[in-house]
Amino acid sequence: MSQSPVRSSIGSLDHYSQPEDSLAEIISLDNVSFGYSRKRLVLQDLDLKIQRGEFLTLLGPSGCGKSTILNLIAGFYKPLLGAVTHGGEEIKGPSARRGVVFQSNALFDWMTVEQNIGFGFRFQSISKYEKQKRVETIIGLVGLRGNERKYPYQLSGGMRQRVAVARSMVVQPEILLMDEPFAAVDVQTREGLQEELLKLHEQVAGAILFVTHSIEEAVFLSDRIVILDRNLGGIAHDIEIHLPGPRYTAMNRVSDEFNQYRTDLYLKMKAIE
Amino acid sequence: MQLKMANSEQVSAFKGQDLQTQALREKALLFCVAIAIPSLILILWELTTRMGWIDELFLPSLSGIVSEFLAMVRKGYAGTPLLSHVLGSLRRVFTAFGIGTVVGCLLGLLMGYYKYVRAAFYVVTEILRPIPPLAFITLFILWFGIGEVSKVLIILYAGALIVMLNTMAGVQSCPKDKILAAQTLGANDLAIFLYVILPAALPSIFTGMRVALSVDFGILVAAELLAGDLGIGYIIQDASTFFNVEGLFVGILMIGFFGVVSDFVLRVIASKVVHWQG
Repeated sequence: MSQSPVRSSIGSLDHYSQPEDSLAEIISLDNVSFGYSRKRLVLQDLDLKIQRGEFLTLLGPSGCGKSTILNLIAGFYKPLLGAVTHGGEEIKGPSARRGVVFQSNALFDWMTVEQNIGFGFRFQSISKYEKQKRVETIIGLVGLRGNERKYPYQLSGGMRQRVAVARSMVVQPEILLMDEPFAAVDVQTREGLQEELLKLHEQVAGAILFVTHSIEEAVFLSDRIVILDRNLGGIAHDIEIHLPGPRYTAMNRVSDEFNQYRTDLYLKMKAIE
Repeated sequence: MQLKMANSEQVSAFKGQDLQTQALREKALLFCVAIAIPSLILILWELTTRMGWIDELFLPSLSGIVSEFLAMVRKGYAGTPLLSHVLGSLRRVFTAFGIGTVVGCLLGLLMGYYKYVRAAFYVVTEILRPIPPLAFITLFILWFGIGEVSKVLIILYAGALIVMLNTMAGVQSCPKDKILAAQTLGANDLAIFLYVILPAALPSIFTGMRVALSVDFGILVAAELLAGDLGIGYIIQDASTFFNVEGLFVGILMIGFFGVVSDFVLRVIASKVVHWQG
């Protein structure tokens, strides 16, 4: 499968605010302020647009509000000011249209791999055959074949995270929100997971919002990286990443372009800290 | 990659034990200790009583207890077959335990899930919690008569309270992210309750059931001590009155036996149902 046309035609920042382009936007944060109490804000007057099908990563120092943005879009929080919209409609709470992968994988320990992945279909009118087919396909895509009847506690950390990603992706959400999903696994496993995620992203056309601390991870995965400033500074940088396709090849981790992006981002991050 | 197998020469040349063998050995040793110490106590017991070091009135001989037990099996106790006494007691315990578990579970689930239900019951449960159930026994007899009902109710109350508190704790311990994950997969409140919160609470529910069952056996004996002419508690009470120390011991050991067996059964069931809990 090739990349979706929308993703490859993402323009510059100014481009987003033009009304004729609003069809391409899936998620929009307009003038959003948020704090756990009114006296201590975490976000202030933040504007952020996410395009249909794009892979967007949020980078920034700890406490800059990356996870808060993700939680707002998921519908776990409501903004104190401003609007968070999905396809033009205000987000009122969690929905199956917006999948979430948690760092803790949040699998259901009492269900098998198959049951975990098929969980979302319980709430959709979809034939048993279709459900079975889709679950089997995604199990193959994330390399879990042969583990269908195992329980999460019988799997390694990396495998569990694969189940979590598959469970969220199989119901084809319009956007998948991932909060440091691979932070708890070892480096080798993490690289494998990143490559699988990119392949999945090609197959399932939804957008992905990814939160991480790792510059390498961000460069390898993303179409676009947003760096958040500290102290309610909002968006410090908005950078598009163009690495030669197919994106998931390991060579992309050592290419000159990759290193350039990494150095550039590293310096930008340093400047913020 | 293929794992290299150590050849037999190498194996015999290895000095010391590998960790697996060590662990196995330790397990065997622990098992021996667990068996040896009670056996030793039994032998000492029989020795001291047979040699006449201790008056039989305080500690009857093991053989005396066994023959008293066999006599009870043959002739019954106080005109009632031993089996009727045993079944009578077990029926009381398990009726109370069964109903108590259901009631305790339902209340615990509601209290764990709905903050307002929890708030409504909070003061009452906190006051009731430290009161030993036996303190209510005469009150129960006053309210429900001296028959079967008050006996079962007092056991039921004691067990239900424990199951309820454990169930509530189990519901509250359900990780928030699992609930959120279910929501983002399209689950409504009922589905979250059935597929996420209830299974997450099951390990605590089983823990509560095990504690409740052992408490229930304790309350049973006390309830039967008070009134009636049937049950293991009655045997203990009646034997004490007549200084039948052997009979007293038979009653005590039977309670212990049924307590251990039913707890074992419950544990096996729990390990099958909540298999994901280590």
